Amino acid sequence: MSIRTIKLEVLRYRPEQDKEPFFQTYTVPCEEEWVVLDALNHVKDEIDRTLSYRWSCHMFVCGSCGMVINGEEKLGCKAFLRDYSGTIRIEPLRNFPIERDLVIVQDDFIEKLTSVKPYLIPKEEKSIEQGTYKQTPTELKTYKQYSMCMNCLLCYSACPQYGLESEFIGPAALALAHRYNTDSRDVGRSAREDMAAAHEGVWACSFVGACSQVCPKDVDPAGAIQQLKFSSAVDYLTSYLPGGKR
Amino acid sequence: MARSAKAVPWFLFAAGGTVLAFILPVMIFVTGLAPAVGMFSGALSYDTMSGFVGNWLIKLILLGIIVLALWHAAHRLRVCAHDFGIRADTAVAWVLYSLAALGSLATIIALLRV
Amino acid sequence: MSSQAQQASMAQDGATVRRPYVRPISKTSWFMTHSRYKHYMLHEISSLFVAIYAVILIVGLFRLGSGPAAWQGWLDAVTSPIGILFSLAAFVFSIIHATAWFKAVPQAMRLMRGGEVVPGNLIIGVHYVVWAVVSLFVLILAGVA
Repeated sequence: MSIRTIKLEVLRYRPEQDKEPFFQTYTVPCEEEWVVLDALNHVKDEIDRTLSYRWSCHMFVCGSCGMVINGEEKLGCKAFLRDYSGTIRIEPLRNFPIERDLVIVQDDFIEKLTSVKPYLIPKEEKSIEQGTYKQTPTELKTYKQYSMCMNCLLCYSACPQYGLESEFIGPAALALAHRYNTDSRDVGRSAREDMAAAHEGVWACSFVGACSQVCPKDVDPAGAIQQLKFSSAVDYLTSYLPGGKR
Repeated sequence: MARSAKAVPWFLFAAGGTVLAFILPVMIFVTGLAPAVGMFSGALSYDTMSGFVGNWLIKLILLGIIVLALWHAAHRLRVCAHDFGIRADTAVAWVLYSLAALGSLATIIALLRV
Repeated sequence: MSSQAQQASMAQDGATVRRPYVRPISKTSWFMTHSRYKHYMLHEISSLFVAIYAVILIVGLFRLGSGPAAWQGWLDAVTSPIGILFSLAAFVFSIIHATAWFKAVPQAMRLMRGGEVVPGNLIIGVHYVVWAVVSLFVLILAGVA
């Protein structure tokens, strides 16, 4: 195991003493197999206890350690130091207010997540005695990809439309709406339609596709939104036909 | 939240984008690049062209392509305006879609004259 | 922290002061911050050339309906230096549009066949084949006319 030294240039912000964010450089001796998160942990343990950031599983399943590394949205636990050299610039996720250092204010996203009704709305509620809902493997495959989202918010950081218009419901929330819409056990598409079909829903998306490019779980929210656009557009047009409901 | 009417132009945008992806490169080649080097001079001659465009099926196809191109471009330019920082979306939409409508009308008139 | 700073940072109930910082974004140059945004703007701008080309075609149709001299005038304009420059640019942008569009189709249209998602590359490949066939058809049509 060889040790080399890298420099971390981290955006700091401490509301009680800083007027605005500034970069602070740390020199960190690193093991070969380390990820950026390991380097940050070393800083916090050995160099600067005040450095704040979110992390948990260290194996890219929890979505806690999202950040911008050298201008790219990445999970701190998935960015291997061997892929970088010299100075690594670390900033908090874009398009969110900075709470402190690398910690961002997620409240806007949490509200939006709730607004898409991210739960099964079945045709009939089944009691426990009535047994389980049944689903074929194909029916599962139809939505499984969109269920892999771990709310890491890399997509919101990468999405320029969310940056320009913070009312935009955003990639992860819309992908989750699509996940439930395409679940065979769910009939809640019309319940989610007011949200999805609003301007702040799918129509603020211009298919830049950055969200899908940065997604560490290959959820492809961009694809989910385009599919949601199609079904929304069909619903919109058919609602004007006789017998359609508005 | 009110449902956005963007759904309607979006359909035209999507249909136009698909058609244009297939047909636009070769059309620009035949009508723009090839004649510059003297290619297809027979096909582009007045007699051949008026005969070709005189055909009703061809008129319909050309109408479809041009109208879709106009509405595809109008919608995309509307989004572009927003991306370039122009925030008056309703005004931009009115201007662009009106131009597309005018262009569509002009296409019909032009095709009827051939 | 000095005691002054400590006092400033403690609110009445002893909690730390919160002052979330919002980083400003340029509405007019945000796309310059990353190559993927520049790429996006490139295929969005292709629509400008589409619009101009559509107008050129409409003018051409009007000229076609106005007689041989008018039609020749249109041909001369199209083959003028500016006309050629535009055609070159429009041609390049039409290719940019087509390649970006084809790449996006599997995302926008998720097909399930035989219990599996149809591979994106297959869908894209079929599009390129159709593109080649359509282009060849038009070229042959123009060639033999």
